[in-house]
Amino acid sequence: MDRHLVARGAQRAPFRRFALWIAPWAVMLVLGAYAIYLCLSKGLNQTNMDNRFAFGLWIFLDLSIIALGAGAFFTGFLVYIMKRHELRAVLSSAVVLGFICYSGAILILMVDVGQPLRAWFTFWHPNVHSMLTEVTFCITCYLTVLAIEYAPILMKNRKLKDIPAFLVFEFELHKVMPILAGVGTFLSFFHQGSLGGLYGVLQGRPFAFREGIGIWPTTFFLFIVSAVAAGPSFILLTTWLVSKISGKRLVTDNVSRLLARISGILLIVYVLLKSVDTLGWLNKTVPEFGLSGMSFFLWAPFNVWILFLEVVVFGLVPALLLLAGNKQLRVGWLVFSSFLVCCGILLNRFVMTIQTLSLPTLPFDKFMLYSPSWQEVAAFLFVVAYGVIVYSLSFRYLRLFPQEAGAIRLQGD
Amino acid sequence: MLPWVYGFSWETGQIVFLTIFYSVVGILIASCGLAAVRALRDLKSKNLDGIRWHVDFNDLGDFARTCRHVFTGDVSDRICPNGFDCRTCRFHREFAATKIAAGEATAGMAPDREMSRGLRMPLDRLYHRGHTWVRKEADGTLTVGLDEFGKRVLRNGASAELPRAGSMLTVNGKGWFLLKDGSRIRVLSPVDGKVVETGGPGSRFYLRVAPPDDRDLRHLLNGEEIRPWITREIERLQMALASEEVGIDLADGGELVEDLTMNYPDADWDGVWREIFLEP
Repeated sequence: MDRHLVARGAQRAPFRRFALWIAPWAVMLVLGAYAIYLCLSKGLNQTNMDNRFAFGLWIFLDLSIIALGAGAFFTGFLVYIMKRHELRAVLSSAVVLGFICYSGAILILMVDVGQPLRAWFTFWHPNVHSMLTEVTFCITCYLTVLAIEYAPILMKNRKLKDIPAFLVFEFELHKVMPILAGVGTFLSFFHQGSLGGLYGVLQGRPFAFREGIGIWPTTFFLFIVSAVAAGPSFILLTTWLVSKISGKRLVTDNVSRLLARISGILLIVYVLLKSVDTLGWLNKTVPEFGLSGMSFFLWAPFNVWILFLEVVVFGLVPALLLLAGNKQLRVGWLVFSSFLVCCGILLNRFVMTIQTLSLPTLPFDKFMLYSPSWQEVAAFLFVVAYGVIVYSLSFRYLRLFPQEAGAIRLQGD
Repeated sequence: MLPWVYGFSWETGQIVFLTIFYSVVGILIASCGLAAVRALRDLKSKNLDGIRWHVDFNDLGDFARTCRHVFTGDVSDRICPNGFDCRTCRFHREFAATKIAAGEATAGMAPDREMSRGLRMPLDRLYHRGHTWVRKEADGTLTVGLDEFGKRVLRNGASAELPRAGSMLTVNGKGWFLLKDGSRIRVLSPVDGKVVETGGPGSRFYLRVAPPDDRDLRHLLNGEEIRPWITREIERLQMALASEEVGIDLADGGELVEDLTMNYPDADWDGVWREIFLEP
């Protein structure tokens, strides 16, 4: 039915099966759209957030997908700036994933702002002393970069390529890609950092507060390093997932191993920095507040196990597997390690958002737990469904993996 | 945001922040603007074929872009960086000079060498990677046709959309189109020159071309290169036809059947043809 639109040389499932795959996600999308409509029309009283819990599921989602979306800028950086051309095999997929992550994050932020019609205020009257302002400017600009990077991938569609205007624009856009990759890297470094800095500057929240260098708390740097460490792992994991779901071999093993090695090296650096930072915070920052570091881990379910899980199980273990086992282990183990890395980044962002706000900060404060309303969950699922649908359409109609057609021949590599 | 907007103040933080922001926006607008202006210029220029070939060539797999010197064993592995235009390739020039110095020649090869994996590829002509042949005629013109491999892949029922006499051709530009089963397949021109006569699928040739005075055919394959090239082309065809589940399932060493399309009715033939004729 839609064969004439599928990339040449790529074999895709019949349209009927593809439609069946899309259907449940479309239902989820519609449900999420309704929840978003409720939030926009009736206000944020549709959520379980309040003045104490001003950050909830949506901010956790934002932080997580922006961190995972770092694979896009980092792959672009590695290909165009560091000249690791073998990663071209996953570059288009990384761009699409990045575009989905950032557009999803901005979409949910628009709902979270409460009055999206006034979202432009942040640009028109920026408070340049706020980390959030930097984040807003950077992710908006970076989404623009990703949209520009997505355009040539779209214009390579089998039918669109036949239109001369698209052909030449795509050809010329390719020439400026290194500039865009550079700009994307610059923007990403800053907004990943500022998202971390956002928590590090919270003096009233000793659990999150960190000292640092100049105006930048250590969380600024930790967020950057953790995002660039998780980015390649997320690309590896999604490529494997798409490969399993579609039943196609999309990249050669050496590409997977390279991604794993890059992720492993950066993760080791991150684990080291995180450990030093945690020790410094426990032994210097917190005592200066007149508190005991371990007092923050007395509140179930956020006991010390969560720190162990984050640093050791989701940090050190996958880092060692990715690095030490890079050549010996089967790709499946590397994918499993990447899964652990992605879990680690999600847990870190969860801890920074939810645990920070749950813990009491004043003597009369109580420990609070927050659970999202169905509207929040549905809006969250809207972004997930949106991502799956956009990626599925891109995978079906665009050439996301240039090695796909030739990969069959390379079986057994 | 701007000096006259409420909230703006001439303080260092504000100036630095907004300068960086405006610089980023400026770079983005300039980059896209530059691409758009160049694209408009390209559209107005007559180089659309060249751009299309550049894009297509980069979309071909590494296997399809293998350098001709791999066929003859001069190098073990090399990807062509020149869009199959060896006339400007320093690497090719050096190898050709070495071969001439070593006295290697392709003339006078035995007629049985004209058979490559069951396909007749006469050695009195030169071959283009897009499955066309070129023969020098006594009157100085060049006749151009579709090689045996190309014909076998298309088999019967293909019609052609040929350029008019007087049209100019450029190497790796649009030569003519083949029309089959709703597909319109572009065949690359193997030579530069002016079309003086047209033939077609039922004729001995497709085009007769008057080349420029300084004609240069060094980019075309000949002699010893043909057989290994065809062997690799059959592998490429196997890859294009391979099913996802089974992988490559044609027996190694076999010959192409007469009518492939009949034997693979479910294949994405449009994709296969475009792969073989270098239009991925």
